[in-house]
Amino acid sequence: MSSYRELVTQQPGSNAFLLGNEAIVRGLLEAGVEAASTYPGTPSSEIGDALFEIAEEAGIRFEFSVNEKVAVETAFAASLSGLKSFVFMKHVGLNVASDAVMSIAYTGVGAPMVIMTADDPSMFSSQNEQDNRIYAGLSHLPMVEPSDPQEAKDFLISAFDMSEREKLPVLFRTTTRTSHMRSTVTFGSPRQRTRYEVLNDPGMFVTLPSNSYKFKEKLIERMGKIAAAGYEKVFNSTIVNSGSNTGIVCSGEAYNVISDVLTEIAQPLDILKLGLINPLSEGMIVDFLSTHKTVLVAEEVDPVIESGIRAISQKNGLAVTILGKLDGTFPMSYEMSPSATEKILRKMLHLERNENSEKITLGYSVPPRPPVLCPGCPHRGTYFAVKRAVKMLRIDNPIYSSDIGCYSLGDYEPFKEATVMLSMGSSIGVASGFRGATDRRIISFIGDSTFFHSGIPGLINAVHNRSRILFVIMDNDVTAMTGRQPNPGTPANLMGGLRSISIVDLVKSIGVDFIREIDPYDLRESLAASMEALRHEGVSVIIAKRECAIIRDNRNRKAGISEKYKVNPDKCSGCMNCVTTFSCPAMSISNGKVTIDPALCDGCGVCAQPYVCPFNAIQIDEVSANAA
Amino acid sequence: MQHNIIITGVGGQGVVTLGLIISSAAISFGERAIMSEIHGLAQRGGSVSVDVRIGNYRAPIVPDGKADLIISLEPLEALRAISRAGPSTVVVMGEERLPPVYLGIHRQSYPDLNEIIGVISHKLRLYHLDAMRLAREAGDTRTVNTVMVGYIVGLGLISIPQQIFHREIEKTFAKKYADMNMKAFALGLQTAQKIMATGNDTVEIQHGFG
Repeated sequence: MSSYRELVTQQPGSNAFLLGNEAIVRGLLEAGVEAASTYPGTPSSEIGDALFEIAEEAGIRFEFSVNEKVAVETAFAASLSGLKSFVFMKHVGLNVASDAVMSIAYTGVGAPMVIMTADDPSMFSSQNEQDNRIYAGLSHLPMVEPSDPQEAKDFLISAFDMSEREKLPVLFRTTTRTSHMRSTVTFGSPRQRTRYEVLNDPGMFVTLPSNSYKFKEKLIERMGKIAAAGYEKVFNSTIVNSGSNTGIVCSGEAYNVISDVLTEIAQPLDILKLGLINPLSEGMIVDFLSTHKTVLVAEEVDPVIESGIRAISQKNGLAVTILGKLDGTFPMSYEMSPSATEKILRKMLHLERNENSEKITLGYSVPPRPPVLCPGCPHRGTYFAVKRAVKMLRIDNPIYSSDIGCYSLGDYEPFKEATVMLSMGSSIGVASGFRGATDRRIISFIGDSTFFHSGIPGLINAVHNRSRILFVIMDNDVTAMTGRQPNPGTPANLMGGLRSISIVDLVKSIGVDFIREIDPYDLRESLAASMEALRHEGVSVIIAKRECAIIRDNRNRKAGISEKYKVNPDKCSGCMNCVTTFSCPAMSISNGKVTIDPALCDGCGVCAQPYVCPFNAIQIDEVSANAA
Repeated sequence: MQHNIIITGVGGQGVVTLGLIISSAAISFGERAIMSEIHGLAQRGGSVSVDVRIGNYRAPIVPDGKADLIISLEPLEALRAISRAGPSTVVVMGEERLPPVYLGIHRQSYPDLNEIIGVISHKLRLYHLDAMRLAREAGDTRTVNTVMVGYIVGLGLISIPQQIFHREIEKTFAKKYADMNMKAFALGLQTAQKIMATGNDTVEIQHGFG
């Protein structure tokens, strides 16, 4: 997709090479969805990016909500108003939203509603790899899982149909591989939109205990109906390859890996592919179990399907041998690796080891390239200044309580300014909790979006309990790490007339009596404010305000502005202060001196300040006319 | 046709676009293609890797040891990707060196390019070129990934005709960049064809063009 608009404009019947997340957006259009909301989170972020671009044209009421819980509540309100609604988030976002979701399971929905969770097995961009299929059992809600972009689109439409019939929200689970896999998708026709009539009698959607008491039984009854309603024909398939003694049950990406491995080892075993994760299709599973001697359950992360299948087998008194994670055939962690899976299957089927799959070792240790703050990133100045202030005040061994965002990278060298980091908004909650428990000084970091998301209660708690904390809010105007989506603090001109919320006013209103706004590009000012804040008894708040460097870079490129800095080799003493303490990706060492790569330098000029280069060797490059 | 391709580089180099051009060309040529994108934590500057599988595959990840081709836009990332290579993997490497901040923090310089070339070509067939120089010649450093595509096609490492790639480049890029990318593709292609003509796989020659 050169532009997300093609998701709207391409003709039904045509093919496109789509990311799973793009296919999901197309699915929303074909299902006739009218309302969508999210808080950005990888691997689901592209759905929001696409909707932000096309929502108006497509007639979808879309918002980036302040957090996942509010996103679910927003979608629910749309559903109650008769609009087909969709809410999506990363897996850990469902933790935040779960309080609302558990109640919506009880009340049921008005118009159809689908809740998507994008799980991240192997933790490519998350703090854990929790398996959100377990939420389906916890909430007693139906759950559907696709294995590729085409299915993502088609299953999503069917999930809305299921929600419409059963009056329950349907959980829709992807993983990083399905969300971030590209393959060919055939477009279908968008459905006519309907405004649903929703009964809204008093008490219908009120979870007072006396009501919930009744809702619970109704929920179990609804799920029983779903189990008998024939949805297995929509979402599951049995692939009988050979009538083999051994069969495999799998779902999602595990199905893809298993298919390829079976082809590779030329063993056409029978497969039962499950797209309906909850409720499990008992009849279909019993048929499969009773026609095979051994059944292998292949799934990623937790033994969710396996546990269900073992229960079904026991309940029906079947003699089949079941293999999976619980007996150690498959590991309990991480996504399925094709090569490890091949080894496991070869062993299970008593096949020879494949000698061709030997790996190459070079015997060369490659320097690591962990993720880094971009050139020009304002967070670099903030971390540099705070670290320096701590050193100058001789504060020994402070606790850095960090949070989730680009600035989490402050954990890495050279800053190492993260002692603890748990979850969205936890920086200030944890920081507040150290009061009275330790003598160590507490410094806490949070980004603007994360502060709005769930940092505000922690700050209230800290002020209320008279904690002593330096709380640094790193405000770069956007939700940067997931791709610079707008948040409530984004300047109004960047988000189409929505009202921008002032962080300073918010912090003031909580009663913080030390507030400084700094420009993290100004190291002198940032250092002075940090030192003053660290001397303050009580909660001090520094708001480090400077837009995300990528926004600035994009604007400068469009305007043809190109400033670059360079190192004057005659002045460079080779002290390496810049590369060892500031560590901009544009800087590197060559022949004992530092050089700046003009292709990477974004012209912020922070490195030219004497704190970074005491020898005044870094200067603006007058002749830097960029080729672009 | 079956191709298992791993494409690596550093965020901002155009790794994903490179994968898209190859996948789309395969599809235009009537083949099945799937691709996996891993977007890591960093917006820019981290390792980026894309797998492209052309043929009848379902899982988007190239199994360890099964890559036919590793395309790297950056030498250290080429080295890193070798852990996924097998004995018959061919490596195509762009020479643009992007030193990880790790090196500076530990007061180290980027390893010698010839050392990297030596380490890889000792075990695997390696083609490498100064794609950045050709990209500049094409008019924009950002065409470096298209130079690589032309180079790979010229080396005959992908059995898709070059005309298909021309069409994909026109479709992928906006008008004003399409011409530049066409030129970038041609420059990569011609460089490869000269290598093929002399029968010399690697080293030296590439530095001579520009």
